[in-house]
Amino acid sequence: MFRKIVVPLTTLAAVAVLCMIVSPTGASERRRFTNDVYVIGQKASINEPVAGSVQIYRGDVVVANAIAGDLLVLGGSVTFTGAGRVDGNLIYAASRVSNAENRIRGHIYPLASLEGAAVSMTKNAIVASLLLVWLIAAIVVTLMSGREIRLSSAEVRSSALHCFVLGLVALTSFVLTAIAFSYLVPYVVGIPLLAALAVFAILTKVYGMIAVFHAVGTLVAGSRTRQQLASRKWLRGDLAMVVIGVLLLGAIRMIPVAGTIVWGLASVFAVGTALATKFGRREPWFLEFRAANA
Amino acid sequence: MTPCDEYLEDPEANAAHLETCLACRALVEDLDEEIEVRHRPLNVDALPLAPWEGASHRTWPLVAAGVVATLILAIVLFFAAGVSSLSGITQAVLSAIPPVQPVVRVLQLTGHALGVPMVAVLFVVINTILFFLLRRAPRGYDV
Repeated sequence: MFRKIVVPLTTLAAVAVLCMIVSPTGASERRRFTNDVYVIGQKASINEPVAGSVQIYRGDVVVANAIAGDLLVLGGSVTFTGAGRVDGNLIYAASRVSNAENRIRGHIYPLASLEGAAVSMTKNAIVASLLLVWLIAAIVVTLMSGREIRLSSAEVRSSALHCFVLGLVALTSFVLTAIAFSYLVPYVVGIPLLAALAVFAILTKVYGMIAVFHAVGTLVAGSRTRQQLASRKWLRGDLAMVVIGVLLLGAIRMIPVAGTIVWGLASVFAVGTALATKFGRREPWFLEFRAANA
Repeated sequence: MTPCDEYLEDPEANAAHLETCLACRALVEDLDEEIEVRHRPLNVDALPLAPWEGASHRTWPLVAAGVVATLILAIVLFFAAGVSSLSGITQAVLSAIPPVQPVVRVLQLTGHALGVPMVAVLFVVINTILFFLLRRAPRGYDV
């Protein structure tokens, strides 16, 4: 009965998805790619109008004419002069943009919005605010599923290298999958797929970070012996370990440069341990079928 | 059903079967042997501490202290920066959410820069590695 319903429904869903991929809703988006300009690690000047987008990676560019598409600047500098303007959006990260006032028709997006917001307020205040959110999320998740968090924490402590490698590969996979899905954005199915991937990635990161908080708390303040555990009043239990982990990693996060690196590494471990333990459920992601012994 | 099966099913009713069957008699003799239980002193405290021991304990004063300390720190830092604490915290939390449109655009541009064949090859290779890494079972000890 189950198969009679599931198989046709799955087939119908697959056909529907295929139809959504095949039937374009905005295929003209692709033509914009044909006139793109790339600047990687060098100095350049945009003196002629560009029909597509301009991407600058670690380079210095002077924009003296119109760019019909978007301007993406990652780790470089852009200076607008003369008739230089952007009809699309300006997206930048770790970059210096000069003389861009009234020359961007679309929006200006600082990709690293944390740094962008730090212009008007201290970065540490923002970090402290985010730390508060992390703390509340960690407490709620630990109260709801402490055993799962504990298992994932044990995994990251006992198989740190595996978790790190898995985290690196998984993050790369997320990015590549997002790029692959971005090809489908002009079609109906692209945005839902990207949204689903984003939700999964965020859940993985959040759960994994809480497990890493627990692991850090246990490594620093966990009881080593039964007598030590019995003598403690405050520093015992999953909740205490998670809180200590959040506060420790949060304090490190406030250190310039080092904090970002440590937090980034913790994120890699987080994704790795969340996936390695299947969110603490101790179930295999893929069943390995073996022939039954007679 | 053989006589041996009948005996195994109801030994008391078929007790006479033991007199004629060597195999069943040997089985019963084996089972009747006394098991020697060697008592060893067991020091529970000498065993390593299991991760689940004391894990359910909830230290609410520590939790409250952590939340209050973080909240006060954020308020003080925003106050020092001359920004309203409430709006500052709200803006900070909202700033952590990346804007959708430029992220999608960056993905599209990156995908175009790499090219479809390269993205396809990398996609298959990385996800194959991920598949094999996910097949490894987590370390199995009871937590």
